[in-house]
Amino acid sequence: MGVGKTLRILVILPMYGGSLPVGRFCASALKELGHVAEVFEAPGFYGAFEALKTLRVTSDRLEYLENSFLQVVSQAISAKVETFGPDLVLALAQAPLSRQTLKRLRRDGVKTAMWFVEDFQLFTYWETFAPYYDVFAVIQKEPFAHKLAAIGQPNVVYLPMAADPAVHRPLEISPVERRTYGAEVSFMGAGYPNRRLAFARLLDFGLGIFGSDWDGDAALSGRLRLGGRRIDTEEAVKIFNAATVNLNLHSSVLAKELVPAGDFVNPRTFELAMCGAFQLVSERTLLPELFADDELVRFGSMEELREKLAHFLAHPEERQAYAQRARARALAEHTYGQRMEQLLGFVARCFPDWPAGRQEAEAALAGLPEPLRQETAALLRDLSLPADVTFPDLIAAVRARQGRLTPLETSLLFLDEWQRQYAGS
Amino acid sequence: MARFLVLQLARLGDLVQTRRLLAGLAAKAAAGGGEVHLAVDRSLAGLAGRLYPFARIHSLPAHAGPGRSAAETAGLARKACGELAAIAFDRVFCLNFSPLGMAVSAMFPPEVQRGYRQYAGQTDKDGLLRLVFRLARDRRGSGLNLADIWAHLDDEALPAAQVNPVAVPRGGGLGVALAGRTARRSLSPDILAPLVRTLFRAGGASRVTLLGTAAQAGEARALLRKLDPAVAAACTDLTGQTDLAGLCDTISGLDRLITPDTGAMHLAAFFGVPVTAFFLSSAWCHETGPYGLGHEVWQATLPCAPCLEAAPCDQGHVCRLPFADPGFLRALAGSAKAVLPPGLALFATDCDALGAVCRLLRGEDASATARQTLRDFLARHLLGAVAEATDPAPGRELAERLVMETDWILPPPGRTASREW
Repeated sequence: MGVGKTLRILVILPMYGGSLPVGRFCASALKELGHVAEVFEAPGFYGAFEALKTLRVTSDRLEYLENSFLQVVSQAISAKVETFGPDLVLALAQAPLSRQTLKRLRRDGVKTAMWFVEDFQLFTYWETFAPYYDVFAVIQKEPFAHKLAAIGQPNVVYLPMAADPAVHRPLEISPVERRTYGAEVSFMGAGYPNRRLAFARLLDFGLGIFGSDWDGDAALSGRLRLGGRRIDTEEAVKIFNAATVNLNLHSSVLAKELVPAGDFVNPRTFELAMCGAFQLVSERTLLPELFADDELVRFGSMEELREKLAHFLAHPEERQAYAQRARARALAEHTYGQRMEQLLGFVARCFPDWPAGRQEAEAALAGLPEPLRQETAALLRDLSLPADVTFPDLIAAVRARQGRLTPLETSLLFLDEWQRQYAGS
Repeated sequence: MARFLVLQLARLGDLVQTRRLLAGLAAKAAAGGGEVHLAVDRSLAGLAGRLYPFARIHSLPAHAGPGRSAAETAGLARKACGELAAIAFDRVFCLNFSPLGMAVSAMFPPEVQRGYRQYAGQTDKDGLLRLVFRLARDRRGSGLNLADIWAHLDDEALPAAQVNPVAVPRGGGLGVALAGRTARRSLSPDILAPLVRTLFRAGGASRVTLLGTAAQAGEARALLRKLDPAVAAACTDLTGQTDLAGLCDTISGLDRLITPDTGAMHLAAFFGVPVTAFFLSSAWCHETGPYGLGHEVWQATLPCAPCLEAAPCDQGHVCRLPFADPGFLRALAGSAKAVLPPGLALFATDCDALGAVCRLLRGEDASATARQTLRDFLARHLLGAVAEATDPAPGRELAERLVMETDWILPPPGRTASREW
């Protein structure tokens, strides 16, 4: 499925929200696959937008300023593309790519892909920007693909959510951590209206709720843990591992359906499975093709949830068997690495000449003398780059390293600059 | 227990048009043992209590009045704000693009504010309202009722057909509302008189009640002078003689109300009294038409309609002329063969999943396709799965024009940036 060569990929993170960690997982997976991935850190610009909100100007002027500054951020992405020269720009939902910038990238022959990890019926803005991407990856099936085609986006690929095995993994939980993060019946996530009402019906179980947006709910306040603050990924993994039963109730902004009907499968499903943590997950139409009946336990109503909670709390060996099978399936089929391979393969199928326009360069190691060659080979392994990576790609990866560079990295950069200065002389 | 506050500091018509939002919140509150609060101008507090008995009414000195001093206003505002601040509201809906309403919003945390908002001195508005402001550049192609804009500020709006009762005659004869607050949107007595006479005869009415404030008493007298003696004799002139409660009592018992775009018209729709409305000048039935089933609107559809209320008319008020056309009188009398003058169309009110809608019965409706495309676009935007069947292709131009990068890249105003799954 892969494209068989090292690619340069610029991952555009959103400034905030649920797709932000997904973008980081993508970048990490792309590097693991041996590609040179750079990340556009849009969250760094978010503070400027918050500052605009403190100006105390008219609402019309505020809207104008927000739009103007967003154009600047988008231009920053253009500049990054010019410098980095990516084969693909991968944007996550809410990425700060304006239509103007997307048009310019298309004109310049830079391929762009959006992984729209949102519900298309709730976040309807795809109608505005979808045709400007070369490839549109989605977490839902029909009728979304049909609708995208109708507005001029034919290159649609179904790409369900995933998990990162390096992050979402089984953990040994210490007694202290268990007191902090453990619960008999645990939920980690935001307090959407349906969850508030549903969990109020589970107070006779040992319920613990982690996450934000649960304010003002008197019925659940006694079950809210860690002060209802935001939970980062590392803590979330501890919470998953420390629970006897993890609840995974898909969200809905509507309170009338406690267990909402829906199609796409949320990231928590994959993350819990990858952790080897037992979960009870609400029914989704796309779930059976991702996990079999003997891998995940599903519920379609509150009655069914209560019944299964009671059963599985009393049967630890069954819980363990389910969790093990779910983890095996997640490792085999649902990693971000696999998703990125699928996405790159799809781009390659849509555009047979892709990646194009890059000069064939000599392998980085070929021109280096020993023992520098051996030392650089170790660096390639550290950077997850293939042994035949080109010198320009190696330099791009070195430039993306954080903090102080090592003498080897510095000497490679020096060599690159020396070659540029004296090229052709 | 959920507590909702609606800040509606505008006039009578706006208060009545808030029903869809308020009734939806009341249904939610009833399901979960919650409360609905409504803050209005002092002059409308009594009426608000009558129209919305489920709501706790808060009174603010929003409108200037004779003899009201700044000191008195400050004292009244302090008392009302103290009352409101003591309640932990889950949602506060500020419905007016007015500094007064937004000033009150500033008492509440940004995450509970909806509609027009203010926090830390910065005013702002919800994404839907930003979009509505962009829509205002092309009102002719716009087709979202004001009541529905307000209702959709909440995540779940009450079904439109459940808002007002289906209109049926109530036995009290014909009512005629004289000019509303904007005289340009009303027909002069010499044009109105033949229309009243025609409807009086066509409907077999025996009584006519003239309604309006004291300021419209002169118009009422002028109308009476223009009417046939038989019709004039059936008239009772109540202009300037009813308070708001009396107005409600009278309107709620009518068989039909003849009216321009007025607060009285919205009251009639509220009580399920059939309305025959004449919309001209800046009035556009697709924005502020009578809400619910069973009403009819004769809408001026000349190329300049709807115009801007604030801009002087440079067309010689030509939108009044179709209402004086003999063909219109014949059509109003029920003649199916009558030829309507150009620039006039008859719409019947209806409801769909998005809200109130006016459907063409007679005449031409050049903006119908554009409006339907917009409604489909808004339905996808506001209703999600309910609008799954709509085709996004015709709305591409709207998506390009009406949606800005800020709408999808930045978190919605007042919402947390976390938006976890």
